[in-house]
Amino acid sequence: MNQIWIIAKLELRRAFFSKRALWVYLLALFPAVIFVGHGISVKMQRDEFAGKPTVSAALLDRMAVGTADADVLAAAGKPLQDRSWDQRGRNIKRRTLMYFDGSRRVWFEFENGALRNTRRRELSSIDEDRKVYAGMFQYFYLRLAVFFGSLGIFINLFRGEMIDKSLHFWFLSPVRREVLLLGKYCAGLIASAVIFGGGAVLSFGALLAYQTSADLQAYWQADALYHGTWYVISAMLGCVGYGSVFLAAGLLLRNPIIPALVMLLWESINGFLPELLQKLSVLHYLQSICPVPPPMDPNVPPLLRLVLAPTEPTSAGVAILGVLGLTALVLYVASRAVRRLEINYGTE
Amino acid sequence: MSDELILFHNVSKFYGDVLGVNKVDLRIPSGITSLVGPNGSGKTTLMNLMSGLVHPGSGSITVRGISPFAPEKLMRILGYATQYDAAPRGVTGFGFVVAGLLLYGYRQAEAERRAALAIETVSLTHAAQRKIAAYSKGMRQRIRLAQAIAHEPAVLVLDEPLNGLDPLVRAETIALFRNYAAQGRHVILSSHVLQEVDVFSDQVILIANGMIVAEGEIRNVRDEIHEHPSQFLLHCQHPARVASMLFDQADVTEVKIDPGGRGVLVMTRQREAFAAAVQRIALNGEEIDGVMPMDENVDALYEYLIGGGK
Ligand SMILES: Nc1ncnc2c1ncn2[C@@H]1O[C@H](COP(=O)(O)OP(=O)(O)OP(=O)(O)O)[C@@H](O)[C@H]1O
Ligand SMILES: [Mg+2]
Repeated sequence: MNQIWIIAKLELRRAFFSKRALWVYLLALFPAVIFVGHGISVKMQRDEFAGKPTVSAALLDRMAVGTADADVLAAAGKPLQDRSWDQRGRNIKRRTLMYFDGSRRVWFEFENGALRNTRRRELSSIDEDRKVYAGMFQYFYLRLAVFFGSLGIFINLFRGEMIDKSLHFWFLSPVRREVLLLGKYCAGLIASAVIFGGGAVLSFGALLAYQTSADLQAYWQADALYHGTWYVISAMLGCVGYGSVFLAAGLLLRNPIIPALVMLLWESINGFLPELLQKLSVLHYLQSICPVPPPMDPNVPPLLRLVLAPTEPTSAGVAILGVLGLTALVLYVASRAVRRLEINYGTE
Repeated sequence: MSDELILFHNVSKFYGDVLGVNKVDLRIPSGITSLVGPNGSGKTTLMNLMSGLVHPGSGSITVRGISPFAPEKLMRILGYATQYDAAPRGVTGFGFVVAGLLLYGYRQAEAERRAALAIETVSLTHAAQRKIAAYSKGMRQRIRLAQAIAHEPAVLVLDEPLNGLDPLVRAETIALFRNYAAQGRHVILSSHVLQEVDVFSDQVILIANGMIVAEGEIRNVRDEIHEHPSQFLLHCQHPARVASMLFDQADVTEVKIDPGGRGVLVMTRQREAFAAAVQRIALNGEEIDGVMPMDENVDALYEYLIGGGK
């Protein structure tokens, strides 16, 4: 036990600061950067509309299909935007008027002077942003960022030292191979959990940072803490699960591309598999504990939809136990492999 | 008793289909033992086998009663300075030795004390705080030696430890080996050249093509090499006549008519006398088409080992 910690401590610096792992930080920070960027653009829009004249929401909502543009102008006054154009060949005159009710922009679309359609859009909507965040988290963060980040960190724990020709120093220390494996796994886990847990905290923080104080307060009093915690936990559990898989892959195989592709494929087709096999997927468990179901655009082609759609979720407790159980299984296989591992720098 | 020996029992190791070592049986007592053989003969393979870095395909190994499959026990009594020249990145010589000692469970202060001592032993104190990456070849060699001796192992395994050392350091290093051996420890080292190690070794093991060619105290091994008979094939028209003439004239151990009908097979310990005899027979009018050494490889090897590896 003590030895595991000593090994982990010696390894940590390499796990955090290895040049090979630099891109891991980029993956982890990407969502935070996106949401900070989005936040800034929302803020700028808000500032832009802050001084604009508003029309009461009730009045705007009253405009029924068929209302004449002149009537709308008479009731609501001068619009913020007024665009008209002719549609060639079909002899239709189109016109769009935009109003602002203090939080939403409202577009009235006319054909030949009669209202055909009304579109409304909030300047920013916490509900929509939360959905976008959920989508980003499941489709990008868990599937790709944590996945490839764990790949980068864990596969190098043994393979990287084979390439550097320094693995024998570990093998020549008075440490059981299994203990060495666990020590290195702990180092990788600490590094990846900090990096990707941190990435989740930062991006969730960025999501909250630009919300209006009313929205924020409401969310905070309801689910914010709960959601944030589960996001962080699922990112970290992702590191636990993927980490063990890639650690084992680094021991068993020469080429890191192969396990990555196989694993990615496995996780992708998981939705098609019988229920029993689904239990052997890390992603399946991670998606189960994500607090907000991700949105699915109706325009996504059906095949891709099958790939992206989360599997039938299990309860959080089962999911956590599932990841830990899978990890234990994979680590057991890895420990068998590490006992057999030989120093063989020549043919690398 | 076997607790004081390093034992190899019928050990073979193949890398894929490349032979590493073949059917090795060894009983190595304590003292300085040198493994001598040309490049690719299997010295490193033997050392890696006894320290568990590679595993035998067949056979068994114990080091003072401990299996190389149990590093947690073996490494407490074994220190191995490999021939791999790599060092962990960005580490100072001192940090490198200290890190190794921490894994032995020493506390930081004790590890630092021992590391400093080991580094002093290899006369590297002046460079201890520099990065290993910036060390010269000989310095890297010595820092690996320092790491191997830092926990004062009972079995010290060193792959080509004298390579690249200047004469002064070399003498100091050899003194260190002697000192270790005098305390009843094992010092196993490897070299390409017998002359380099024969003065201070208690035993030598000659190895070629993955097989142990000779083993024992240095004097006995030398004698064996000198007395090793050479085999020749004499191509001639009348094998029976030539055979009888050879028996009369030269100091040959054994003469046989080649079953393949090519001529006469001869074993001799005195190659010069044999060559002279062949010449005389030819001059007497006997038709001799050629003389071919049959065990050229082994012969060349001995020349090489004794002759200084040129
Ligand atoms: N990792 C490996 N993969 C394949 N073959 C290997 C490997 N290591 C050693 N060999 C082969 O095993 C044989 C013995 O090699 P070994 O390294 O033990 O020789 P050596 O006596 O240490 O040579 P040197 O004096 O060059 O260090 C050689 O034929 C070598 O090609
Ligand atoms: Mg070698």
